[in-house]
Amino acid sequence: MIEIEDFSITFGSGKNQIRAVRNFNLSVAEGESYGLVGESGSGKSTVLRAMVGINSHWDGTIRVAGEALTHKRSVESRKHMQMVFQDPYGSLHPRRTLDDTLSEPLVIHGLDNREERILKILKEVGLGPEFRFRYPHQLSGGQRQRVAIARALILEPRVILLDEPTSALDVSVQAEILNLLSALRKAHGLTYIMVSHDLAVVGHLCSRIAVMNRGEIVEEITEDQMRTGEVTHAYTKQLWTASQGYDRAALETFQEFA
Amino acid sequence: MSDGTLGTKSGSASWLLADSPNNAFQARCQRLYIGWLSFKSNPIAMLGLAIVLFLCLVALFAPIVAGGDGTTQNLANRLAPPSAEHWFGTDELGRDIFARIVWGSRVTLYIIFLVSIIVMPIGLLIGTTAGLLGGAVDSTLMRITDIFLAFPRLILALAFVAVLGPGLENAVLAIALTTWSPYARLARAETLTLRNSEYIMAAQILGASRIRILIAHIMPMCLSSTVVRLTLDMAGIILTAAGLGFLGLGAQPPLAEWGAMIASGRDFLLDQWWVPTIPGIAILVVSLGFNLLGDGLRDVLDPRSSGAK
Amino acid sequence: MTMNKMKMTGFETSSPGEAPLISVRDLHVRFATPKGQVHAVRGVGFDLGKERLGIVGESGSGKSQTGRALLRLTAGNGSIEASRMMFDGKDLMQASAKTMRSIRGSRISMIMQDPKYSLNPVLTVGKQIAESCRRHENVSRAEAKRRALAMLETVRIREPEKVYSLYPHQVSGGMGQRIMIAMMLITNPQVMIADEPTSALDVTVQMQVLSLLDDMVRERGMGLVLISHDLNLVSSFCDRVLVMYGGRIMESLDAKNLDQAQHPYTRGLLNCLPRLDGNHDDLPVLRRDPAWLTEGDDVPEGGAA
Repeated sequence: MIEIEDFSITFGSGKNQIRAVRNFNLSVAEGESYGLVGESGSGKSTVLRAMVGINSHWDGTIRVAGEALTHKRSVESRKHMQMVFQDPYGSLHPRRTLDDTLSEPLVIHGLDNREERILKILKEVGLGPEFRFRYPHQLSGGQRQRVAIARALILEPRVILLDEPTSALDVSVQAEILNLLSALRKAHGLTYIMVSHDLAVVGHLCSRIAVMNRGEIVEEITEDQMRTGEVTHAYTKQLWTASQGYDRAALETFQEFA
Repeated sequence: MSDGTLGTKSGSASWLLADSPNNAFQARCQRLYIGWLSFKSNPIAMLGLAIVLFLCLVALFAPIVAGGDGTTQNLANRLAPPSAEHWFGTDELGRDIFARIVWGSRVTLYIIFLVSIIVMPIGLLIGTTAGLLGGAVDSTLMRITDIFLAFPRLILALAFVAVLGPGLENAVLAIALTTWSPYARLARAETLTLRNSEYIMAAQILGASRIRILIAHIMPMCLSSTVVRLTLDMAGIILTAAGLGFLGLGAQPPLAEWGAMIASGRDFLLDQWWVPTIPGIAILVVSLGFNLLGDGLRDVLDPRSSGAK
Repeated sequence: MTMNKMKMTGFETSSPGEAPLISVRDLHVRFATPKGQVHAVRGVGFDLGKERLGIVGESGSGKSQTGRALLRLTAGNGSIEASRMMFDGKDLMQASAKTMRSIRGSRISMIMQDPKYSLNPVLTVGKQIAESCRRHENVSRAEAKRRALAMLETVRIREPEKVYSLYPHQVSGGMGQRIMIAMMLITNPQVMIADEPTSALDVTVQMQVLSLLDDMVRERGMGLVLISHDLNLVSSFCDRVLVMYGGRIMESLDAKNLDQAQHPYTRGLLNCLPRLDGNHDDLPVLRRDPAWLTEGDDVPEGGAA
């Protein structure tokens, strides 16, 4: 479904040139849920932003469903890939009701039966019709994130990119959102690429995981490796150890990976 | 909300405060109503609103309130002190100052209205466009803005009026041309912080065009601070208009304009103090009213204080 | 009623026999808002010894407000009430504003979540640490600088001389938090309140920052209150954990026994955490019981909640 080859992202030019992502290759099958894990500055979110076309400073090829993506996207091509952001407080326009937010994609893409579609999608993400005309400030963090998911889903895309969708939420709400995401994937046969710094969250939702450090994939691991911690790369090992909780002895062996 | 519990209210109040609005109209009304509730709890702002409303009413019913057209001369009764017949006295041509103040409120409102409808769209459009597009467009638009910002307002307005010729409309145009630049700066600064926000990115990903993002997403966010700034600037606009009137470049006689009234009355300040003082007080009160209103609106509308919880 | 038997009161420290550093009973924090009174902390009580005490809870559980109330740093519209709030023999409820200022920073320190907002952007970090030293102790400039450099080394900053002259925006998040810790530790406080000190940091950096706090507890006998939403982190790092919900302590237990938590809220929180076990089934969703907010109330509060 998604193939990324020889992909790199460069910011700036001349002396100030920063290669945020390099030698990036990725292949995700249809209906798969793929995880990208890394610490801040590893370039994981940058990859997602390039994929959806917010960032156009990339080189290489990105193919979605066999079609190569261009740097400038047509309105039509936007339909197939949508994104859910990290911060449910920042990703909804504060002056627009949910109805405004959800009908906008329908207007842009000229889809009809708007009322029907909006009510259907609200129901799917677990919000009743009474939410339709509320403003974001009338919702809790979890409800906002549900709206963000509804907005991404309303165009019926085949790929959804998830940028730390639960890291701003409480654990109990995180569980609800993760459950919702896996239910939606099953129901619609969606392909996910999920970015997170939390191994456990990615491990829960994804079957394959790429570990990124300083703009490169250091290792791709399976869920079995994730479970047992039998990973080969030292960076992955360290990340895995750190996410097991505080361990004074293991800490002494930590090193910097540059 | 000190006025009792919300649940027990009936009728329009419960419609306005319902947890789940049934349609877009109700949602918008609720938003306004909640803003109004918070505005209402600020007595200073309410005083400002009262002054501004009073000005509007006076202007609307000027013929009834003034009891004359304010231009009737009566040289036999010139420079009369305030009395039961002439509440604010008469001027050097024997015209009733009260009637002239009342008619002058129309001129003031006319100026305010015209300046607002010119300044807001220009400032918003230039500022948000520059902020959203960035690059060469931004540099060009902002340098033009800087040029306008670099001149003292009254001097620049004087220059414009000198070119366009004296008269009320030209004065308004001159004021508007010298006022829009800070609005463009303000709107640009806000756009710069908004354009990297996730909801703008989400709109981009959905395929929204730049024009749609500009009009539907960014402008509504900049609108409130622009309105607040404009209300706070109203005092300055009224004073500039009065200044132009004072210099004889604004409203032309016999039209009653407060600034021009002060100008013609200033020779009588020592002996017949009411002639220039009364229009001065009128300007003061109206400016103050707009300032208080603006302060109150800022508390309600400021995106930094609303929006996120 | 096995639950009540298992449930600890939160009043015994990990080092029984010693007098607690901080002792709180029946702490209430209330805020007056336009929409009425918000009762953020409802009758919290605990003792803190020379140990690592974790306070866990979700947003709105009152955990941060509990931490702030200890320093009487509650926002202007809030009021604090407690039948007892003692620190080292002093009654914090009765202490004057001046006494509180002398306690804050020098005897009880606090670390916030984001170092970016806690450091002064126009002063070098070294100056700020040295200033903090001079404010609490009467030492010369040179001595303050020497101590600041030593403290930077203690928090394992590699080139203290170089970092000393950096401005806050020039340092990374992890280093910023270490600098904050250095600044807070230089006055040698007896108690440190850390409010989500590591949640803005990467996991590996998070561990390194925690190990610094760990050292202070072990080597200097400091008392540490770690406020966090992360159950895993708290259970692996702390000695004792208080679980808060709705402004109350639901349960108090030894961190190593967190798996055996009895309270349905704690159990629910633990269950809804995703685990590295390759299980993709739906996570159990936490069901909240309104009774949790009233249990243990001998006398109902007359609906004042």
